[in-house]
Amino acid sequence: MRSPRSPFLWLLEKECRELIVCRAWWVLLLGMGPLVGVSFIGAVRTYGEVSGLNGASAGVGEALSPLIGVWAPTFSACELAAVFLLPFVAIRLVAGDRQSGALKLELQQGMPPFTRITAKALVLLAGWLVAMLPPLTAILLWKSYGGSVYPPEILTLVFGHILNAGLTIALAAAMASLTEHPSTAAILTLGITVGTWIVSLFGAVQGGWWERAAGFTPAAMVAEFQHGLMRLDTTLVAIVLSLAGLGFAAVWMQLGIAVTRRAYQSAAIGMLAAAGIFGCTLITTSWDTSESRGNSFSEGDEQALRKIHAPLSIEAHLAPEDPRRLDLEHHALSKLRRVLPAVQVRYVSSTSIGLFEQTRPGYGEIWYDLGGRKTMSRMTTAEGVLEEIYSLAKVAPPREKEEDIFRGHPLAVPATAAGPIFYAAWPGLVLAAGLFARRRFK
Amino acid sequence: MLFEVTGLSKNFGPIAALSNVAFQVRPGEVLGLIGPNGAGKSTLFECLAGVLPCDSGTLRANGRPVTTRERRSLLFYVPDGIAPWPAQSVGWALDFTIGFLGGRAQLRDEVVEQLDLRRLLDQPLGTLSKGQRKRALLAIGLLTAQPALLIDEPFEGLDLRQARDIAAALRMHAIRGRTLFLSIHQISDAARFCDRFILLSGGRVRGEGTVPELAALARAHQASIPSQDLEEVFLALT
Repeated sequence: MRSPRSPFLWLLEKECRELIVCRAWWVLLLGMGPLVGVSFIGAVRTYGEVSGLNGASAGVGEALSPLIGVWAPTFSACELAAVFLLPFVAIRLVAGDRQSGALKLELQQGMPPFTRITAKALVLLAGWLVAMLPPLTAILLWKSYGGSVYPPEILTLVFGHILNAGLTIALAAAMASLTEHPSTAAILTLGITVGTWIVSLFGAVQGGWWERAAGFTPAAMVAEFQHGLMRLDTTLVAIVLSLAGLGFAAVWMQLGIAVTRRAYQSAAIGMLAAAGIFGCTLITTSWDTSESRGNSFSEGDEQALRKIHAPLSIEAHLAPEDPRRLDLEHHALSKLRRVLPAVQVRYVSSTSIGLFEQTRPGYGEIWYDLGGRKTMSRMTTAEGVLEEIYSLAKVAPPREKEEDIFRGHPLAVPATAAGPIFYAAWPGLVLAAGLFARRRFK
Repeated sequence: MLFEVTGLSKNFGPIAALSNVAFQVRPGEVLGLIGPNGAGKSTLFECLAGVLPCDSGTLRANGRPVTTRERRSLLFYVPDGIAPWPAQSVGWALDFTIGFLGGRAQLRDEVVEQLDLRRLLDQPLGTLSKGQRKRALLAIGLLTAQPALLIDEPFEGLDLRQARDIAAALRMHAIRGRTLFLSIHQISDAARFCDRFILLSGGRVRGEGTVPELAALARAHQASIPSQDLEEVFLALT
């Protein structure tokens, strides 16, 4: 008589049971309540203060977008948990089998190692979704206060944090499979995370390829999702990296395979992933799901820009750490690239901070070349950049429409009931569920 | 013959754990792999089960080489000293063996009775004593469906009574046609229980056969003729 359930379902059930008895997961759940509570209550307070000071909605704009004012800080608790707590859960689940010897029994089943690691990743992602219940509860609370909720931007944010968790799980799984001891895996996982922060730091200081690489670090990816921007290239790179991490984990989880063969398999995965990432970086599709259209020019400007077919190149004489360069990049060029993917941008500077270049002739100049016609400006605002492009293209700037202006959703309310929910009810519920589940599943 | 191993070698750096190991396994027999600690018994089992990569050697069944993947339908290996799924109950582990490892559900109750696991079914594996855990692991092995079962130290951690009961249970499975290949470092235990023996020492097979066959082999090696006692034969051959 054969079991009616497939081996994969048995494996899923086993991984669920292992997750439920995993103390690290319960600690993650326990920690999420207070983490989200602190962030949410602080964000609602600040949002209320700003709303009270600027009671009139006109002019406050993006500052009173709930996405930026409330959800980005509230969900930042997820980012913190994904970096400092989730890896331990993933390592426990992956390394536990090897440590207990269960791996020697399970691998005799013959299931492909990638399928095995996929089962673990699926269960870990499900565990992460449970850990995301506190921020999702915060949305309900905000709604009960009369706050505005714009589902597309919230979904983008949640998706970004799920992708980030996927990356963390894949990295931790790879490290747990690669190393003999979980503590080594934890050190390596955190080491790589810190490494991505260093890349971001180098990107901010050095510019160039470092800056480009920094755009694909988990922190940069989450930052984009926090602004409601969903870039297909970033999303695909995250998926490729996650699959590569799980692939590494699958290769090193195998038993009975010589180390050299596993090293070749790992190298093949690395090369495939590199090719995949390179391919992804050529994709320019993106969606601005924010209600404020904070990542886009107005629709009128976008239509006007799309009519420009001549090649546009911009040469900005600004150092990587010059605040004007950040302004130019974030408020103008990032939006411009979304409309004109072929735009060529070149930064010129001889130092990283630009402080001692201020007196150099030409420093601070931004040169625009549109089909051979050139102009120079020093303005770094979106309006300034658009003005120069329109004048070069001899296109009349579109008239600003009243409905294009995002007025924001001011709301000055206290975070009623948030404290009891996040500091008492959630931890209490987690403790009770933890005790019950551990008893039930044993 | 169920399968045949030839030229199996395994090195850990400069240390040769197994050197040119060769032997045969017959269907339905209880084959004892005996040797002192460090002889390479566990390494041999792990290489056969595909848990460890071997440097050279072939496993043949029905006259053709069997790949590591194909071995999974031929043999199942129960390692010694593992504590799998420590937070899960014994009952769940048996169900998982049936569901995930393709074990035989119809044997579950019988194996539970034979190995005296009824009282332990709800107990987490991690809370079991060494002997109890060994019985649970043996149950997992006995439930699997592969024709050959490799068990590393089946009597380790068991008291005399338990060892005798379990030996009887294992014998019953062998009578029904299951081939048992047992690694045993206590030669007296092996002598009581196994049909044939493989003597392993220093990573080399020093002899293969029944006690009389091994005694004859020992006589060919040494002028002084050892008795039919397996311990004496083992000492003479290693």
